[in-house]
Amino acid sequence: MSQSAAIYLSGVSKRYGDTLAVDDVCLSVAHGEVFGFLGPNGAGKSTLVEMILGLTHPTAGDIEVLGQPVGSLAARAEVGYLPETFRFHDWLTAFELLHFHARLARVPADARTERVPELLELVGLKDRASDRISTFSKGMMQRVGLAQALVGEPRLVILDEPTSALDPIGRRDVRDRIRELGEQGVTVFLNSHLLSEVEQVCDRVAIIDHGSIVAEGKLDDLLNAQEIELRAGEGAEAAARETLGEGGVRQVNGRLRVRVANDDETARLIRRMVEAGVPVYDVRQVGDSLEDLFVRVAERGDV
Amino acid sequence: MSAHLIAFFTLREALRRRVVLAAALLTLGYLVLYGVGVWFGYRDLQETQDGPPGLTEGVVSLMLVGGLWSLNFIASVLAVFLSVGALSGEVDQGTLHAIAARPVRRGEIVLGKFVGFTLMLAVFIGVSASLMILIVAVITGEIVGGSWAGPFLMLLAAMLLIGLALAGSSRLSPLPNGVIVFTLYATALIGGVIEQIGDVLESAVMFNIGVFSSVLVPTRAMWDMASAQLATGGFAGELSAGPFGASNPPSGWMLLIAFLHLALTLGFALRAFERRDF
Repeated sequence: MSQSAAIYLSGVSKRYGDTLAVDDVCLSVAHGEVFGFLGPNGAGKSTLVEMILGLTHPTAGDIEVLGQPVGSLAARAEVGYLPETFRFHDWLTAFELLHFHARLARVPADARTERVPELLELVGLKDRASDRISTFSKGMMQRVGLAQALVGEPRLVILDEPTSALDPIGRRDVRDRIRELGEQGVTVFLNSHLLSEVEQVCDRVAIIDHGSIVAEGKLDDLLNAQEIELRAGEGAEAAARETLGEGGVRQVNGRLRVRVANDDETARLIRRMVEAGVPVYDVRQVGDSLEDLFVRVAERGDV
Repeated sequence: MSAHLIAFFTLREALRRRVVLAAALLTLGYLVLYGVGVWFGYRDLQETQDGPPGLTEGVVSLMLVGGLWSLNFIASVLAVFLSVGALSGEVDQGTLHAIAARPVRRGEIVLGKFVGFTLMLAVFIGVSASLMILIVAVITGEIVGGSWAGPFLMLLAAMLLIGLALAGSSRLSPLPNGVIVFTLYATALIGGVIEQIGDVLESAVMFNIGVFSSVLVPTRAMWDMASAQLATGGFAGELSAGPFGASNPPSGWMLLIAFLHLALTLGFALRAFERRDF
């Protein structure tokens, strides 16, 4: 399992005193996958990201990155990381920052001279290459941070909120970069609050809450686990419970809300109701966006 | 190994942030003031014709040792200020995250910073002490300053403080770390004074308190050894006793203790920073 995974976590926990920040997390991100990592504030996202990078040590469990034990130099040599705070030494110019990180990432000298200007152009900072980072706006800092993450030609890129300071055009650019990385076979681990961003670029997502993974899977599968709202005659609720079980059936504003895994389940429910002689007047899908899924998880801790 | 990259980076940061410029300008101002003092002092000394033989050289030597004592103090303050937030401060600010995620050992970050700060202090002590010796030589015509071991011992004192501050910075935030390092530095200073008084009063307890403080933080002991090396002339021993040096310079064992101290503090810094969570 671990050999084929870019990131592999097994029973990972992190405790700070009495607080369990991350609780027995098992997670596997395949090579070349664009993986979205979501969770409300304080859910344990950053702690988990820092553990994957070897910046924070887990209290329990195993982590492998690109087939190497976490924190090993071999693993880190092939990882690019954009920190959430995107705070860099602001006395450096953009050019110097990228050169310094290229050297730390062991990029050979001749490759550095080519790669640094290329990346500055890619993130739209070619004209500001010689300016100190202290003169940059937040958005520019985030863009130079993205270039920094890519400077070592990494096989795995971990982006922590990569577009939080960007305008809509900047966000689109970053989404395009992420898609390109995915197409090039680079694994991307995207930690983001911007659900539309995750929805647009990620193959698979995991949602963490209170330190535990509460949902994980392909985006299509997760989003298909949706609710339908029915306006139906007497006996509808009993029919729903009979067909789909007790969980996931509730009344909202006098209408029946039923959680279904997919469209087939919806069809089965309606067929059952019709067979039971329950009149069905109206059926519509609700909660089919990642935002709804996220809010449900954050509020109730289930999917 | 990436420690040299971190060391070079540390040096460049100090230059770029104008830490070096500020220290250089202030030291230059201090040297001018010192030169004026030496000029007037030497003029008064020449008017005293009835002193014992060797008095002039002894007093000039004392002037230099006094000046170097001040430089040693500035170097110590500089060492603490530079390194007190070098690790924890950068972790708190988030500037070290991207660097520590690179294929760089945590120990290389600690060693790189240690080497960077040490080089900075070496240049500071080397240049300012040389200028001070030159000022004294030009004004008095006396070339004093004794052995070159003096400035090296001054540097060793600064290195001890860098090691101590880095050890603290691997765990503590800059403010509490600064308070602790300065308190220890002051303890060593006061301990030296107590040791001297104990020596004069022949109080074994006071003397031992002083020795204990020197073992705890050997910065003062390094200066005492340095001043013994720096003082020249017939009255060197007597004149260097007092605020600028010990009447009995520490034995060579203190040098061993200093190196042991450095090894311990750096070892702790490496180990603690390796285990630290960001």
